[in-house]
Amino acid sequence: MLFSVLNSPSSVFEKIASGNSEVIGAVQRLTFFLILLPPVFAWIGSTLFGWRLGGGDPLYFDATARVIISFFYADALILGYISTVLIARWMAHTYGGENVSTESLFAFFTVVLTPICIASAAHLYPHIFFNVLVLIPSLLWAITLLYRGLPVVMKIPPERGMLMSSSLVGWLLVAFVSLLGLSAALWTYGIGPNVVV
Amino acid sequence: MNLETREVYHDGVVKRLVQFSILWAVVGMLVGVYLAAELLWPGLDFGQYWLSFGRIRPLHTNGIIFGFGVSALMATAFYSVQRTSNVPLFMPRLAWITCYGWQVVVLFGGLSLLAGWTSTKEYAELEWPFDIAITILWVCFAVVFFGTIANRRIKNIYVSNWFYGGLIIVIAMLHIFNNLAIPVTIDKSYSIYAGAQDAIIQWWYGHNAVGFLLTGGFLGMVYYFLPKQANQPIWSYRLSVVSFWAFTYTYIWAGPHHLHYNSIPEWVQSLGMVMSLILLAPSWATMINGIMTVSKAWRKLTVDPALKFIVLALAFYGLATFEGPMMAIRSVNIISHFTDWTIGHVHSGALGWNAMITYGTFYFMVPRMMGKPLHSVRLANIHFWLALTGTILYVIAMWGAGVSQGLLWLSMDDLGELSYSFTDVMASMVPYYALRLIAGLIFLTGTILMAYNLLRTMYGLHTVTVVPPDVIDEIKGTAHNPNAVMGGEVTA
Repeated sequence: MLFSVLNSPSSVFEKIASGNSEVIGAVQRLTFFLILLPPVFAWIGSTLFGWRLGGGDPLYFDATARVIISFFYADALILGYISTVLIARWMAHTYGGENVSTESLFAFFTVVLTPICIASAAHLYPHIFFNVLVLIPSLLWAITLLYRGLPVVMKIPPERGMLMSSSLVGWLLVAFVSLLGLSAALWTYGIGPNVVV
Repeated sequence: MNLETREVYHDGVVKRLVQFSILWAVVGMLVGVYLAAELLWPGLDFGQYWLSFGRIRPLHTNGIIFGFGVSALMATAFYSVQRTSNVPLFMPRLAWITCYGWQVVVLFGGLSLLAGWTSTKEYAELEWPFDIAITILWVCFAVVFFGTIANRRIKNIYVSNWFYGGLIIVIAMLHIFNNLAIPVTIDKSYSIYAGAQDAIIQWWYGHNAVGFLLTGGFLGMVYYFLPKQANQPIWSYRLSVVSFWAFTYTYIWAGPHHLHYNSIPEWVQSLGMVMSLILLAPSWATMINGIMTVSKAWRKLTVDPALKFIVLALAFYGLATFEGPMMAIRSVNIISHFTDWTIGHVHSGALGWNAMITYGTFYFMVPRMMGKPLHSVRLANIHFWLALTGTILYVIAMWGAGVSQGLLWLSMDDLGELSYSFTDVMASMVPYYALRLIAGLIFLTGTILMAYNLLRTMYGLHTVTVVPPDVIDEIKGTAHNPNAVMGGEVTA
C-alpha cells in the first residue's frame, strides 16, 4: 500500500473517492505506522548525534527528556492530523463536498502526509538546516497532493478544490506557527528539556 | 453638456500610478535581493558607503512601502472612490500633482538615504525636508479623496472608502507627530522626543504604519476589488463595517509590543500585548468575510488569474495576522525578538499579503482600464506559482533561522555565561540566508514577469473612457444620467 501511495497517488485518490473500503482500511492502517516514524526517527537521531542548531557543539539531552520530546512530538502530529480532518469536514459544507465520509478524509490526509513522514528520516541526523533542506521538497510534494487529490476525493470541481485546499494550507500554516509559538513560550517558562553538558 | 464638458472617470492618473508602483516593486525587490546577497557576501558593498547594508536596507523598505505600496494604494483609491461615489475625481489636476510629486519624493528620498541622510527612525528614516514634502503631498491626496467622497451621488460611503479614509487620516497623524524634530542642517535634524518617549512614539508610528497602511489600506483594496473580481457582494457587509471600527480602535494601542523587555513601563508593554491579542478578532473577521465571498466565485478561477492571487493573499493575511499577535506575547517575544523570525513574519505579510493582493488587483484593473485582455494569462499563472514558491521558501528559511538564533542566544553554560558568541550564531546562518536569497530571486522573477505582462498590455494605449453609470442621485434626490447626453457606453 505504501508503494501505491507514493507511486500512483491518483489511483489511490480515485479508490478512496469511490468508497473502496478495502483501500480505505489499508490506508488507515498505514496511518499508525507513518505517524510514529517522525518521533521515532527524532528519538534515534537525538540519542546518536544530538541536536545541531548550527552553532558550536551538538546539544545532548538526557534519556527522559528525549522520551518526553518524542512523546509530545507524536501527540502534536496526531492532534494536527485529527484536527485537520475535522476542519476539512467542517469546510466541506462551504465547498460543496458534504457527502464525503469522515473515513475517506482520514485516508486522504494519510496519503497527503506520507511524503513528509517518510522524509522525516532526516531526523536521524538532527541538524536543523539539513532537516529544512530535506523537508521543504517533501512539504511541496504534500501540498501538490493536497491540491490534486482534494477535488477527486470530495467529488467537487478542481476550482472549488483549489479554494478549499488554499483554505486548508492557511489552517496548516497557522497550526504550525502556533506550535512554534507554544514551544517558544514553554521553553521561556523553563518547561523544556535538560541539556547534558 | 457637450463632449468637452462631459463627466468621465479620471483613469489616466490611475494608470500612471500603477506604472510607477510596478517600477518601484521591481527596483525595491531588486535592492532586497542585493541585501540578501550582501548578508552572504559582505564584500558586495565594494567598500562603498552608499552600498553598505546600513544604507541600502532603508532604501529597500522605503522603496517597497512608499514607492510600491503607497503608489498602489493611491492608484486603487482613486480608481475605486470614483466608482463607489459615482463621480469623477475631485480636482483631477491635484491628483496628477500628487502622483508625480510622490514619485519625486520617493526617488530623491531614496538617493538621500544612499547619501547617508537619516533620522534613524525605522520606516521614517527620511530627513525633515522630505517629511515636509510628504505632509504636503499627503494633504493633496486627502483633498482629492475626501473631495470626491463629498461630491458623491451615492448616499452610503462604501466600506472600502472607510479603510482608505482611515489610512489617510491616521498616517497623516502618525507621520506628523513622529517626525516632529528640530532641523540643524539641511540633512540633519533631532527628534523633539528623547529616550523612552522617543521609542514609544516611534513604535506607535511604526506599528500603525504597518496597521493602517500595510493592513488597513490594503483591506480597502480587498473590499472593493474582491467583490468586483468575484462578481459577488461581500458575504457580510455588516461584519465588514464592524471589523473596520474594531480594527481602527484596537490597532492604535498595539505599538508597545515592539518594545518588550525595554526601558518602558511594564504596564505599557502589557497593554500593547493585550491589544495585539484582541486585534486577532477583527483581522480574522475580514479574512473570513473574504474567504466566504470568494468561495462562491469558484467558477471564475479557470479564467481569472487575478482571483488566485486574492485567494492566496487571504491565506497569508490569516497567517500574518495570527503570527503577529502570537509574537506579541512576551514569553514568545523573548525568543523571537531581534531574530530572523521577525523578518520572516514581516515578509509573510509583505510578500504573501501586500504584494499578492496588489498583483491580483493590477491583473484585474489594467485590462479593464486599457479595454483589452491581459497580454498573457499563461505568464500570470507562472507568476502565481513563482510568487507562492518564493514566499513559502522565504518564510520557512526565516523560521528556521529565527528559532535557531533565539535558542542559541538564550543558551547558557553552568557558569551562566553565554554558550555561543554573536559571531558564532551569525556564522551558522549562512545556509538559511542562501535559501532566503534563492526565495527572493524566485519572487523577483515573478514580479518582473508581471511587469512585462502588464506593460505589454498597456503599451501604446490610453485608458478607455468610462462615464459614471446612470443612477438616482441619492444625495440630491434627483435623477442623474450623464449617458443620456453623450450616449457613452459604460465599460467598467
